[in-house]
Amino acid sequence: MSFFSMMLKMSEGLSKTCAIFFLTLLFSLPLGMLVALMRMSRNRFISTVTRGIISVLRGTPLMLQLLAVTYGPYYLFGFSVSRNKLIPVVIAFAINYAAYFAEIYRGGIESIPKGQYEAAQVLGYSRLRTFLRIILPQVVKRIMPSITNEVVTLVKDTSIAFTVSYQEMFTIGKQIANSQTSFLPFVVAGIFYFAFNAIVDFGMGRVEKRLNYYR
Amino acid sequence: MTQETRPGTPVLELRNIEKSFSGSTVLRDISVTVNRGNVVSIIGPSGSGKSTLLRCASFLETADGGDILYDGEYAMQGGRYADKDMLWNFRSRFGLVFQNFNLFPHYSVLKNISEPPTLRGVSKAEAEEKARLLLGKMGLSGRENAYPYQLSGGQQQRVAIARALALEPEILYFDEPTSALDPELTGEVLKVIRQLADEKMTMVIVTHEMAFARAVSEWVVFMDGGVIVEEGPPDLVLQNPEMERTRQFLTNYEK
Repeated sequence: MSFFSMMLKMSEGLSKTCAIFFLTLLFSLPLGMLVALMRMSRNRFISTVTRGIISVLRGTPLMLQLLAVTYGPYYLFGFSVSRNKLIPVVIAFAINYAAYFAEIYRGGIESIPKGQYEAAQVLGYSRLRTFLRIILPQVVKRIMPSITNEVVTLVKDTSIAFTVSYQEMFTIGKQIANSQTSFLPFVVAGIFYFAFNAIVDFGMGRVEKRLNYYR
Repeated sequence: MTQETRPGTPVLELRNIEKSFSGSTVLRDISVTVNRGNVVSIIGPSGSGKSTLLRCASFLETADGGDILYDGEYAMQGGRYADKDMLWNFRSRFGLVFQNFNLFPHYSVLKNISEPPTLRGVSKAEAEEKARLLLGKMGLSGRENAYPYQLSGGQQQRVAIARALALEPEILYFDEPTSALDPELTGEVLKVIRQLADEKMTMVIVTHEMAFARAVSEWVVFMDGGVIVEEGPPDLVLQNPEMERTRQFLTNYEK
């Protein structure tokens, strides 16, 4: 099998890699905000429970969580989440990444000076409006570098889906590597991930630049 | 000490305000009345409770007891605040200028000033026109599209004053408005406040600028340890204070 036919074959899995990537971001970015707000809740019960959940999600391997979501229901209750492996993959990824995003959001929100809230309150901004119009835009700017970090990691983490044999790019590469007893598919995978992240870097750089109109 | 020495109708009345933070008393039985068109300066050492008093009057802190009245209407009565909507309405009657300006860094100067009035039903066009007018008054014409970080501290504080004025408050509070500024920038901010005093703006100024307090205020309140030690016309309190504690405090400011 030639290098290029390997590339061609593996690129068929790229759409699935992209599906994991974009769907994970789509769900985990907002979910992370919800988790961050629960983590910062004044209700001690909610914040303590949320803190515990975040701690478990960050303290155990994503691969383990993926296996748990995919096969756990079968062993526990005798049914599977779905025959389409994309669903358990995205559930596991979204929950795991939401935990990381939540902590990034929390750090960002807590870094905004108290005076911003006070000024907004005195000027008649409601609590919701203060958060959406005054606090959140400043938070987004501050956390962009950390978010970029997570997004870049996510690109590479999509390869973990091979553990449940979801036919994304890396899984196909691994199968080719096995059948051809060749190391080349891994080189191809490396090139794909690097190219993917070059695009991510470029895009996030543009966003950061756009937010640079103030300090 | 009596009302008769200061003519006019009261805009703000603080009666028997009590406030403590986790057991330690910060304000003890504080009563202050500010009449329309008057400037009242509050002086005193750090930790005397003067900032806390302003923050109680502007609902940033919750007083434990006492009454707060604006134009004779209760915003707080016997330690109980009016409901949320009422407080929102009361907030339109005062403006607060902070020590650290607290401008919104992601908003242009114009938007900092013009957005708050739109929350209270003023049209965007009208609010922006007003903002330009106020910027002119603050000597900042042409800086509409600048962002706060592009301005000096003195300019930022003047924008903050314009932002407070845009809501057309009946009374303006200043919480050590020049403490974060060097002497040169202090001068330009004090000039603006003095101009407002000349226009008979009602103001309460917490300050360490004694010469300024003497020049602009009708009434000076000296606080220490959470109580009002002495109050009266500036010539009395700042020149011939009755209380030993006041004298002691003021000697630190003599050249």
